[in-house]
Amino acid sequence: MPKHIVRLLLLMAAAAVLGYAAKIFFTSESFYKYGPYRADSVPELASQEPVFQTPGYCQGCHAERHAQWSANSHKSVSCEVCHGAALGHPLNGKLPIPTDTAKLCSLCHEAMPGRPGTQPQVEVAQHSSGQQCIVCHNPHSPKIVSAAVMVAGDAAAGAKRAAACSSCHGTNGISPNDTWPNLAGQHAAYLARILGAYKSGAQKDVMMTPIAQSLSDADVQDFAAYYGGLSCKAAPGNTGIGDAAAGKALANNCTACHGETGIAGNPAWPSIAGQKPAYLVNALKAFRAGLRKDPMMAGVARSLSDADISNLAAYYAGQNCGPATR
Amino acid sequence: MSDTTKPPSDARRAFLSQLGLAATYTGAVAGLGALGVAQESSAKSESPAATESFPTPDYDWTKHQWAFGVDATKCIGCLRCVEACKRENGVAGDAHHFRTWVERYVYLEGETRARVDSHHDPVNIEASGSEGEYRFANRYKDAKVEKAFFVPKLCNHCTHPACVQVCPVGATYRTEDGVVLIDHDYCIGCRYCVQACPYGARLFNEEQGVSDKCTWCYHRITKGLQPACVEVCPVGARVFGDMNDKQSPISLFVRNNRVQVLRPESGNAPNVFYVGIDKEVV
Repeated sequence: MPKHIVRLLLLMAAAAVLGYAAKIFFTSESFYKYGPYRADSVPELASQEPVFQTPGYCQGCHAERHAQWSANSHKSVSCEVCHGAALGHPLNGKLPIPTDTAKLCSLCHEAMPGRPGTQPQVEVAQHSSGQQCIVCHNPHSPKIVSAAVMVAGDAAAGAKRAAACSSCHGTNGISPNDTWPNLAGQHAAYLARILGAYKSGAQKDVMMTPIAQSLSDADVQDFAAYYGGLSCKAAPGNTGIGDAAAGKALANNCTACHGETGIAGNPAWPSIAGQKPAYLVNALKAFRAGLRKDPMMAGVARSLSDADISNLAAYYAGQNCGPATR
Repeated sequence: MSDTTKPPSDARRAFLSQLGLAATYTGAVAGLGALGVAQESSAKSESPAATESFPTPDYDWTKHQWAFGVDATKCIGCLRCVEACKRENGVAGDAHHFRTWVERYVYLEGETRARVDSHHDPVNIEASGSEGEYRFANRYKDAKVEKAFFVPKLCNHCTHPACVQVCPVGATYRTEDGVVLIDHDYCIGCRYCVQACPYGARLFNEEQGVSDKCTWCYHRITKGLQPACVEVCPVGARVFGDMNDKQSPISLFVRNNRVQVLRPESGNAPNVFYVGIDKEVV
């Protein structure tokens, strides 16, 4: 073989050996293990820590909240959608409780072309007049359940038996005492609901429970129809217990259900305009303490101080109950 | 070639295989001479893999075949999936880097083509208040809308992925359980894959100089969790599961619906199955 060919072959052999050595040196050990890629990168990617946990993780500590949430219509919305990813919680501190719920809730519930008809949607501007959603809706149980019941009682029959009630609630449903509520002109549906609650034991009161238990369902309807039809016009009670102006500012949070001046738009909810102030104070405190049970009021009353309660009572007691005389 | 009973073709085959062996042996010896240590350790890593589960001790990728379903008739366009994906995977916070997104298709009266926008549309960025928050502006509130719907999009984790085909360095690959992943250590940032994907599902991470993409939250699914976008979807528009399990959400989804895939003509054979999309959705 000519010399120059031998040299060339030797050179090629050297290049091949060098190339092969370089390939071994630069290629990761796990390359080609499962295919033309670095197999070690798979466990590397798989070992990353999950940021979002699951509702089951939250349940460990927040069992009560979890129970309420999982029994209601928001159960498809996982905890971390609103509260943020739970990685590092509780070790690194609290998760946020959303404050601007009008913004958060409207992400899903703002009426928008393209959203399926099954999704509950509202025209945000008209629905709440700029209020925060959680004023009326409990985010863990968002449906408002106190639907108005039709009252089909006989007012005349109610009137005949109303004498028994008059010693506390007054002859015309206007209570002579600041601590007992006026009934005249109240929404009949609310009266029937609350009297029914005393009867069933869902709500308890030393005076009212035994009285209500002796009533038939028809009696409840009759009383509700009778008192709902009376005129609420009465001398305003003692409003000097708080600062009505401060109460008015606070009352913004109440208007969605109880109306701007305390006349509830929905007959399932009580009108509180011109109501006895001491009664309003007692009722709010009872809600706050959990003695009166209502999912909505419990949430609203929780954040009120004694002074707030007095101010609110003073404001609503001073309002004119006028339009409620239907 | 002492055995003369063999037919000539077999003899030739035997000779060639011996030649191949000899060549391999010579190469191996040469390589060993050059870099004995590297060769030895690479041989060692081969042996135990057969019995152990891969990629983690608790998860064997040969036992799963993942797939994803999107029910566009349920999507409300809340974009919680987009936000959760970013948080889960540490994707850049601005509106223009995302592994999943939601498209809104709106047909106005008298128009023949849909108007399409997504969370990174300037109008939607303005409505959300910042690039780090995601919200669809109610821009068609007062328009005469004939038809409108939302379509969640993400990597299709194709059976024959074009992006894997074009990668020049083997940095992207399809796992045994059907997930297309990127090895960021090997990626050289050439962006061929970004261009090759017919769905625009890949993004480029300028900070690290590497391509990035949806992994179906591989770190979650290998631990028995759902991908973050599925976990947070409030309406069940996103479905995920194992096709090997006939009762998994995705198996039921594919079985009980008439599903379709995006751009079937591209030959990528996607593994994200759609329900309720329209002719203009690609």
